[in-house]
Amino acid sequence: MPCPFAKLEEVYQTQHGAVYQCSNQNCYWLDFAGDKTAFRVADFLHFKKKVDSIDVASLIIDSSRHADYTILMPFRSERCFALTLNDLLNLRELLDGARFMIELNSVIKSCLKSTPSRA
Amino acid sequence: MKDLLRLKTSLNEEIEKLLNDQIKVEAHSSAIYLAMSSWCDNQGYDFSAGYFEKQSGEERKHMLKLFKYINDRGGKAISPEIFNIPADFESFRSVFEQALEQEMYVTQQFNNIADQCFKQKDFVTFQFIQWFLQEQIEEEYVARRILEMFDVIGEEGTGRWEIDKHIPKVSYSAE
Repeated sequence: MPCPFAKLEEVYQTQHGAVYQCSNQNCYWLDFAGDKTAFRVADFLHFKKKVDSIDVASLIIDSSRHADYTILMPFRSERCFALTLNDLLNLRELLDGARFMIELNSVIKSCLKSTPSRA
Repeated sequence: MKDLLRLKTSLNEEIEKLLNDQIKVEAHSSAIYLAMSSWCDNQGYDFSAGYFEKQSGEERKHMLKLFKYINDRGGKAISPEIFNIPADFESFRSVFEQALEQEMYVTQQFNNIADQCFKQKDFVTFQFIQWFLQEQIEEEYVARRILEMFDVIGEEGTGRWEIDKHIPKVSYSAE
């Protein structure tokens, strides 16, 4: 759970979860499948890459039982994600949206900095 | 909302990926040159073996230069996985033909990075890779000059022995 000093701002939300930014701790919180997990910035980006690299097509084709679930255990986190194919697609959608909003925020900030103020 | 992304890294994700890909290319070049060095040594081409060993070390230095840059800018340099390194080569000449092709490929990759730097307006990285682009002039020149020796000296008789002896003398000067 977030610490009492956490200053959470919503980055992106879907009906399956949400990503928040804590500007006090400089980290992201992933709220997914009923639990919240904190990620450092680099870890969050790495986690997204890991989720993106899963070959969904081969999971669909594979009829063996182990292909029903994908297990992800991110470093520096006590969370273990056991994802069904549905969960995986929902998580991807959430992380894609969050990544886009993070990048958009960055672009807006840099545009505001480079635009001379009109007194 | 605070910009956590830029607090962490000044490198654009795409540029970071390109630089990491280039680390892999340099590491691959280093490994290929080492394989060439071993082959030349095995065939009795002592000077060529030494030349390729030196080249292998230089490619590794290039790799580490890229490695340090990525980390210095807040990105994450990835130690590359290297495979498909040949252990045998067709002929003395083909070794140098392959070396030139490798250098031309490296130049092409750096040109792509420079192109992306312009597109992303990342002039800091562009400035950084200038050194590599400059270096590639020398690398290609030396590889091409060596290859030309096969025609100038000829491979018949003691030709290959003569070529091998001249390899350390090939150098480049921009002046």
